[in-house]
Amino acid sequence: MSRREGSLEDPQADSSVSPLLHLEAKIQQTHSLARLLTKYAEQLLQEYVQHQGDPFGLPGFSPPRPPVAGLSAPAPGHAGLPVPERLRLDAAALAVLPPLLDVVRRRQAELNPRAARLLRRLEDSARQARALGAAVEAVLGALGAETGGPRPEPAAAAAAIAAAATGGVFPAKVLGLRVCSLYLEWVSRTEADLGQLAPGGPA
Amino acid sequence: MLNASTLALALANLNGSRQQSGDNLVCHARDGSILAGSCLYVGLPPEKPFNISCWSKNMKDLTCRWTPGAHGETFLHTNYSLKYKLRWYGQDNTCEEYHTVGPHSCHIPKDLALFTPYEIWVEATNRLGSARSDVLTLDILDVVTTDPPPDVHVSRVGGLEDQLSVRWVSPPALKDFLFQAKYQIRYRVEDSVDWKVVDDVSNQTSCRLAGLKPGTVYFVQVRCNPFGIYGSKKAGIWSEWSHPTAASTPRSERPGPGGGACEPRGSEPSSGPVRRELKQFLGWLKKHAYCSNLSFRLYDQWRAWMQKSHKTRNQHRTRGSCPRAEGARREVLPDKL
Repeated sequence: MSRREGSLEDPQADSSVSPLLHLEAKIQQTHSLARLLTKYAEQLLQEYVQHQGDPFGLPGFSPPRPPVAGLSAPAPGHAGLPVPERLRLDAAALAVLPPLLDVVRRRQAELNPRAARLLRRLEDSARQARALGAAVEAVLGALGAETGGPRPEPAAAAAAIAAAATGGVFPAKVLGLRVCSLYLEWVSRTEADLGQLAPGGPA
Repeated sequence: MLNASTLALALANLNGSRQQSGDNLVCHARDGSILAGSCLYVGLPPEKPFNISCWSKNMKDLTCRWTPGAHGETFLHTNYSLKYKLRWYGQDNTCEEYHTVGPHSCHIPKDLALFTPYEIWVEATNRLGSARSDVLTLDILDVVTTDPPPDVHVSRVGGLEDQLSVRWVSPPALKDFLFQAKYQIRYRVEDSVDWKVVDDVSNQTSCRLAGLKPGTVYFVQVRCNPFGIYGSKKAGIWSEWSHPTAASTPRSERPGPGGGACEPRGSEPSSGPVRRELKQFLGWLKKHAYCSNLSFRLYDQWRAWMQKSHKTRNQHRTRGSCPRAEGARREVLPDKL
């Protein structure tokens, strides 16, 4: 099992502190990160919708939800799973999201070349998803939980979506909306799951 | 609402697209769900760019800017490309560094020839068409500008409450080139937005501003026009103004004049006739009194002494190396002066 520390400090550097306290600090840090990224993901979605034009963003706009290879929304039964299993699913989704966000960013760079803030948010989101995924895996490692079985290759998912995104402009806009929505769903799902473990949470 | 057999649709009187990614055309089913969509780009073909102007900084590069036709509002992404070529030979080249001095500008950093004309134009292209500007022909030597004069110093002139001395250095980037330099000075009172300009400083690197208000902070700037490089007959291009340099005139009990000297525009007329008459008097003295050392300098020194001692303007005291000055003043002056 690999132990990736992501962007968090390693509390185990001071060996005199109880390992339990280390784990608690790690969980708390990761939970705070997830909370922050949830807020950023909401802003990304708003920014994205704003640059696609009406009816994107209008009340009642119900676009098709095209499938995204290698990634689906959190299942309805996700919240009923044991926390380690939930975190494994969170980590798996966060690992697939960065290349998908990159594809969306490249397409938006063609469609909205002057939308500098949107492009920057998409680029940042890919990095942030990668960091949060690594932090969640570090928590799983500290809990002694397996990170799970084989996952779809992120590159394969990205290639599939890239092919879809090179089609018409409208379908590319819809696909980008789907990816940004999935990013928000999984980041907020991760925040909720970590909240179960964080001090003061039900676990 | 369309019926099931409709295969085509015409949309009229559309406004220009509001976002770069195009306007969305969406087909809904009766229940409101989206069946399909597409994007429309509603806009105008570009109009001819115009008003191209170019300048070269120290003959090392060329920067051009232009005005897009129809003020640039095509509602579509429009690409502007600055092209250039040597007039008599050579292939078309495309400028690569855009938006250097505004949205419609481009910078060519190197590999420019001198003493031979270039042809420069702008091509505008979008999804609906293209347009090309008129061709501008120029020689790099005719559009040279330089950096503002460095080391601008402004200082008081002894105790004179209405004067400041301005000194600067010739732009070092052009020190190896033969050119004439014109300078302009502008100055303003600290809490004013109105600049006064002195524009006949020619190629001096110092100037004395006179007729200023006592006890007042002034901001001063200098700029340079390097014309006549390698014999160019064109007017040259003014540099940017130097960073403002501040200095204050000494305080005085007497109300001072409000205008400027060193031939500024807009100076008060009250200082003009006095100095003109004085100049004529000094000219006469030099001619008739055989004294070559009389000058404005002596006059200014006398004024400084006056202010120091707070005596009336009728007291006289001579200085300098011109012993005949006092004797000359005692002569009866002719009517004509």
